[in-house]
Formats: sequence, C-alpha cells, structure tokens
Amino acid sequence: MENIETAKHYQFSIKFKNSLPWLIPVFLILIWQVACNASWVNETLLPSPIDVVTNGVKLFKKGELQENMSISLYRATAGLLIGGGLGFILGFINGVSHTARLLFDSTIQMLRNIPHLALIPLIILWLGIGESAKISLVALGCLFPMYINTYHGITSVDPKLIEMGKSYELSKKDLFTKIIFPGALPTILMGLRYALGVMWTSLIVAETISASSGIGYMSTNAEQFLDMKTIILCILIYALLGKLSDFIAKNFEDIFLNWRVIERGQSNDSKASGNN
Amino acid sequence: MKKIKKTFVSVVLLLWCGIAIYGWHLTREDAGNSSLKNVVIGYQAGDEFYISKIRGQFVKKMKDKGYNVKFKEFQNGAAMMQALASGNVDYARVGDTPPVSALASGTQLTYIAAGGTKEKGSGILVHKNSSIKKLADLKGKRVAYTKGTSSQYMLLRALKVAGLSNNDITWVNLDSDAASVAYSKGKVDAWANWDPSVAQVEITENSKLIVNGKTTGALNRSFIVSPTSYAKNNKSLSKLIIKYTEQDMKWANNNHSKLINKMSTDLKLSKKIVRRTVLRRTYSMQEMNKDIVKEEQEIANVFYDNNILTKKIDVSKHTQYLR
Repeated sequence: MENIETAKHYQFSIKFKNSLPWLIPVFLILIWQVACNASWVNETLLPSPIDVVTNGVKLFKKGELQENMSISLYRATAGLLIGGGLGFILGFINGVSHTARLLFDSTIQMLRNIPHLALIPLIILWLGIGESAKISLVALGCLFPMYINTYHGITSVDPKLIEMGKSYELSKKDLFTKIIFPGALPTILMGLRYALGVMWTSLIVAETISASSGIGYMSTNAEQFLDMKTIILCILIYALLGKLSDFIAKNFEDIFLNWRVIERGQSNDSKASGNN
Repeated sequence: MKKIKKTFVSVVLLLWCGIAIYGWHLTREDAGNSSLKNVVIGYQAGDEFYISKIRGQFVKKMKDKGYNVKFKEFQNGAAMMQALASGNVDYARVGDTPPVSALASGTQLTYIAAGGTKEKGSGILVHKNSSIKKLADLKGKRVAYTKGTSSQYMLLRALKVAGLSNNDITWVNLDSDAASVAYSKGKVDAWANWDPSVAQVEITENSKLIVNGKTTGALNRSFIVSPTSYAKNNKSLSKLIIKYTEQDMKWANNNHSKLINKMSTDLKLSKKIVRRTVLRRTYSMQEMNKDIVKEEQEIANVFYDNNILTKKIDVSKHTQYLR
C-alpha cells in the first residue's frame, strides 16, 4: 500500500514539475484575459488573448499566416545555416591557429557590435532588396554567437587532456575528433542556442527591407495601421518560435552530450527526463 | 527513452526543413518572359500604385507594351528612398517630405508625376472633450509628430497659421505606434498625423481634427519619383506609367465600394475607417506642373529654415515636365 502511495506521489510531483515552466506564461495570459473582460485596459490598445487567437485563426483560414510563417522560417533557416556555418569555421580556424587569431579576431570583434538597423542602408546598397539582403542580415546576426562560442570552446579545452592525448601519441586528427571537438562541443552548442535566439530578432529587422511576406512584415505592416491584434499575434508567434528553437537546441545538447548527463549521474534533471 | 527523444527531435527538424523549403518555394518569383523589360515599382499599402496593383489592368497593359512590372512593397518612405538611391527601384510612390530629405542628402532623384492630396485627412488630432478648441489653444501643449515626415511640416505650417512660434508648444517626436499609445493615454495633448490613421483615431478615440491641410496648406500630396539617370533615359515609359495610373485613379474614384472592401481586408482596418479615408480624398495622377513644384519647394524652404535640412534645394531642377 505504502509503495503505491509513494509511487503516486512521485508521479504527481513529476507532473507538477513538468508543468512548472508553463505556470508563469499561463498565469500572465489569464490575468490579461481577466483584465480585458473587466475592461481595466482599453481593448483597442490591448485586445484580449481570445481576440488575438481568433484573429490568428482568421488569418490561418485565409492562408496568410502559414505562408508568412513558412517564408520567415525559410529566411531564418537559410540565414542560420550560412551565418552559423561561417561563424563555426572562423571560430574553429581562430581557435586552432594563433596567426589566424591575430589576423581576424579584432576585426570580427569590431563588426560584432554594429547594430543591424545601422547596416540596412549598406545592405540595400550592396545586395539590393531581394531575398539575399534579408538572409544575409540574419546570417550576420547568427555569425557572431557561433563564432565566439566555437572559438572560446576550442581554446578553453583543458590543456592537461591535450597533453594526455599527446602522450598517448594520438594523431592530429584523433586528437581533434577525440579530445578537442568533444571538449568544445558544450560551448559550441551553447553558441547554437544563442544563434537561434538572435536569428529571430534579426529576422524582424530583415523583414522591414521591402518585404511583402513574413512574420516581420506582418507585424510592421500591422504597426503602420495600428492593428494591435496582429501585432500581439506576431509577438506571441515569435515567443513560441523562440521557445521551439530553444527546445530543439536543448535536445541537441542532451543527445550529443549524453556523456555529460551520465557524469552528472543522479541529478534532478536527468531523473525527471528519465521518467518521462 | 533516448530513442524516443531522438525520433521526436528528428521529426521536428524534418518538419522545420519541410516548411522552410515550402517557404523558399513561395519566395521564388516567376522568371517571367525574358523579352520583356523589367520595371520595378515601389509602393506602400493603400497608395496609388497599390490601387493599380489590385485592379490588375496596369500590369496587363504594360505587358502589351513590352514591360514586365514588378511591384515591391515598402513600409516607409525612407526605406523606399534608400532602394531608389541604390537603383533597386525604378519608380517609387512617396509622400511629399521623403523626396525632399533624400535630395538634401544627395540622392539623385527626379519628380515624374504628382498624385492627389490628402488635405482633408491630414491635420492635428485632439480628443473631442479636450480643452483645445482652436489652433491658438495649442500654446503650451504637448504635440506628437514624427520627425522628417509630413506631420512635422503640417505642425510647422499650423503654428505659422495660428501665429504661434515654434517654442510655444512642446514637440514630442514619436513613431506612429508609440504616438498612438501616448495619445490614447493622454501623455500628449494633440497629434499631427494623416489618413488612414487620422480616420482610425477619429473613430476609435472619439477625436477630431482641429485643423486640416486646407487651412494649413500642408496638402500631403503623393509623388512618383525615379532615379535621375533612369528618368532621363525612359521618358516614354514614364508617360505610359502616368497614363495608365491615371486610368486606375479614375476607376478608383468611380468604384468606391469595391476599393473600400479590398482595402479594408488588405490593410486590416474596419470598413468604416477606410470609407472615411477614401471618401474624403480624390485619387488622381498627373504630370508635374509649376504650381505643384512650388508646393514642394515650400516644404524644402520651411525644412531648411527650421534646420531640418542642411542644404537648400531647388525642386524645379529635379523635376521632369513630361507634358
């Protein structure tokens, strides 16, 4: 009897723990809805969540929402692949070669802090107003977090481990695939996680360059005509897409870094996920 | 457990890629007929070229003459001027202030044609129960505007008409979405703006215009501009564009209900707001003439006198009289 009780209790506590991350968002939305129903806020300035969702359903039925979302997803993914890839390569080269580091690093650090909005005129001038302009802006955004983390990951691998590899007479290739890369991987994946976040924020800016499609276009267009329902819908979509990409990145970490989870052993995190 | 997680993530990734590829497919433009000459036209939702686009006749007629028209939508005049400066847009429909600012910053552009005005829908908004009843009451009040746009010109003209100096009011520079919140919350007392936002605020915020373009002389006219080198070499094309848009403007004036329905779905504004906007303006398109150049010159002068522009501009030097 007691066993069943504790099992039940255990299950309950897992369920509770799994729902904990959603508690604040749900709570906020509830308050928001109540505030709208009780007309504490002006509905033209802050439409209720239900209005926002019905507006979303309406746009979905018209086919506008899916189209804009898939176009945005295409731009985001292409930008991430190009920018993230370049960032990884640069970070890798600079991590391994001291000469390359001296040559590239300070330039990249200078470029890193230029705000996207300031770059728009230049990008229009060089790349025009087509898809390539939008994608390159996203790529530029994704490049830096990937670069910094790859570079940092590779340079901060424990030198004792490299020393050990050398004393086992590992070849250069083995040294890299068995020690340096796995050692740098947690930081690199962290960079991917950052890049995924930057990807969405860059996209909003990118989609103000003569766009006639995409979520960023939808929201700037709605801004122009003060269509609060669509503005808030776009904000919610961004939030959800951000959460989704973070979720994927986190799972990447779990899959590729399984040795790390085992090391941690009986930590709370792995217990919870192990019982899902 | 690990396996389930792996399959799950793979499925999500596959879906992601699938949707992204579908998106890529959507962004690909028709290669078009290579024997046709491409003409890129920049427009903003709800303007004259937008009407030509939704009516559909314009593209067909241009195709018959050997031109492949590509419409590019822009969110604001400044971005359109950048695209024009870099030669990515051949013709652009803009308001009356962006070309002046662009000229002052050295962009080589030429005025090709002039559209209608929005004089009845441009002005200074106040709440109906506000203590501001006439222009002179603006003294000491906070007024929202957007720097470098028609709203700044409007406000400068209005102050002149009222006999107030520029220091008599507090100027609050806000983008239109920030201004709408500030206005609704009473953080600013008045708001210089133009249609369709004016119509929207009038209806949703129980507001009215205390002055419009008829009194201030800030007419908020539309223009078609083109890069100078392009305009020089394409006079016959420019004439065609004016001719066909003029026909579309006539159609717009005679088919209000169709236009209002389409606009209200595309702009996501209620029919009531769009109707008010459409009914108080007349759509037109014509070649440039001396009077219109004078209007535009006045904007350049006022902006220069108020240190908004750093360079004096002679509008007539940048105008093509095609008639």
